[in-house]
Amino acid sequence: MENILELRQISKTFPKSNFTLDNLSFSLPYGSIGGFVGENGAGKTTTIGCILNTVKKDSGMVKLFGREMLDTDTDIREKIGVVYDGNNFPDFWTAKHLSRIMAGLYTQWDNALFRQYLEQFHLIPEQKIRNYSRGMTMKLAVATALSHRPQLLILDEATSGLDPVIRDEMLDVFLDFVQDERHSIFLSSHITSDLEKVADYITFLHNGRLLMTVSKNDLVYHYAVMRCKESQFLALDPVDVIAYRKRDFQIDVLVSDREAVCRKYKDVVVDHVSIDEMMLLLVKGEQL
Amino acid sequence: MRGLLKNNIYATLLSGKIFAAFICFAGIIIVGVISQSLLAAYGLIAYGLMGTVGFSVCALIAVKKEFSSKWGKYKLTLPVKRTDIIKSQFWNQLIWLFVGVVFAGTGIGLSWLFHGCLFDQPLDILMLFTLGISVSLLMGALYFPAFYLFGEERGEIILLIALLCAFGLDCMLVGIINNLFAPGTAAMIIGAAILLLCSLSAFSASCPLTIWVYNRKEY
Repeated sequence: MENILELRQISKTFPKSNFTLDNLSFSLPYGSIGGFVGENGAGKTTTIGCILNTVKKDSGMVKLFGREMLDTDTDIREKIGVVYDGNNFPDFWTAKHLSRIMAGLYTQWDNALFRQYLEQFHLIPEQKIRNYSRGMTMKLAVATALSHRPQLLILDEATSGLDPVIRDEMLDVFLDFVQDERHSIFLSSHITSDLEKVADYITFLHNGRLLMTVSKNDLVYHYAVMRCKESQFLALDPVDVIAYRKRDFQIDVLVSDREAVCRKYKDVVVDHVSIDEMMLLLVKGEQL
Repeated sequence: MRGLLKNNIYATLLSGKIFAAFICFAGIIIVGVISQSLLAAYGLIAYGLMGTVGFSVCALIAVKKEFSSKWGKYKLTLPVKRTDIIKSQFWNQLIWLFVGVVFAGTGIGLSWLFHGCLFDQPLDILMLFTLGISVSLLMGALYFPAFYLFGEERGEIILLIALLCAFGLDCMLVGIINNLFAPGTAAMIIGAAILLLCSLSAFSASCPLTIWVYNRKEY
């Protein structure tokens, strides 16, 4: 499967904050949505910065559309749409101003499509961005990111702070975007329920280190949490345990082969695992 | 580049419009009232300098304003080179300097039309504009690299320092020129040429320096 985005051993250290992004490697195939999960300060925005060249990586390679993107590679950036969390654009502009500016920046800028999105999102083109609600600001950013017909959307916490109705509306737009199999989305989010709805792959990041990348199919059908009593936990084969976390009266154990553990440990309760729970087990849990 | 210039012009327009209204009002006062008083020449000098320098200040304020949102970072994800982002800001500074010269020129021209030349000699007007242009260029030359080097959050103080330093440098240059040449028309023209040449050179040299600093910036 060909990758639209590929990161190979990306490292970046910020000496002042003592934070290191440590040898990060993962990829995103064409036609898919990749979710990027991690706690605050895990390095999600730094990783996106390395991908987009807003942050200079110390080592490693980022390939977009099969090529490493340099500052001079404006043709690659023509194919990327970006949405950051919060105010992407100066608040004294209107959507009309934005459209005029973008038309001068993107060769593929489609004003009719932009107007169509504004209508779909109920945004008034003449209204100043400062008078928009947070939801409207994010909708405008998404409309802008889509109106030059990009192939790759990179969204950094784009759905955070939005109410469930607007989030759902945005997720529909994203799903519609990836109907074209040449399109992909790389989406970092704290709201794991959003990723459960749309993502094909989930990459877990913790303290600048990649914990794992799993496909949603694997997450739904293969990964599971065993709810063990102390005695059951002690009887487990360490090979089956990815991570475990002690709670009040039970021990939660993350496993990667649901069917196998169901067969092997018949008396243990095995539940489906959510992204949130998996994240907690990977970050706060221990390993055998 | 077209989109970047539009972006800079829109950003400057916000404060530029207010300043234009102020300079029009000041122009009416200068032409209508002060030009008939004993302070006429001083009033015109102040008006000329305000016009030529003021719009350039608006252009520099606009650079800082971009960083009140994520636009400064977002721009790096657009299909433009970092070099072009900086070049467009230098061009924007020149565009607004031209606007300032037009506004100041109109006011001083109207004053001359209604009240005659209120300066000692017409050549003083040339010196006034040269000084205004030179201050604007030097201010830009100092502001841009310092802004990106010391951080966007210090934009206001960097602008103030750049403006004061530009005035200071021009005063020094004028002093040196006055010491070098005996008073006269030729000396004034040569002095104006030296002033313009120095500030244009500083402005031109500042552009690659700012690009060098900006290329190393992370957002």
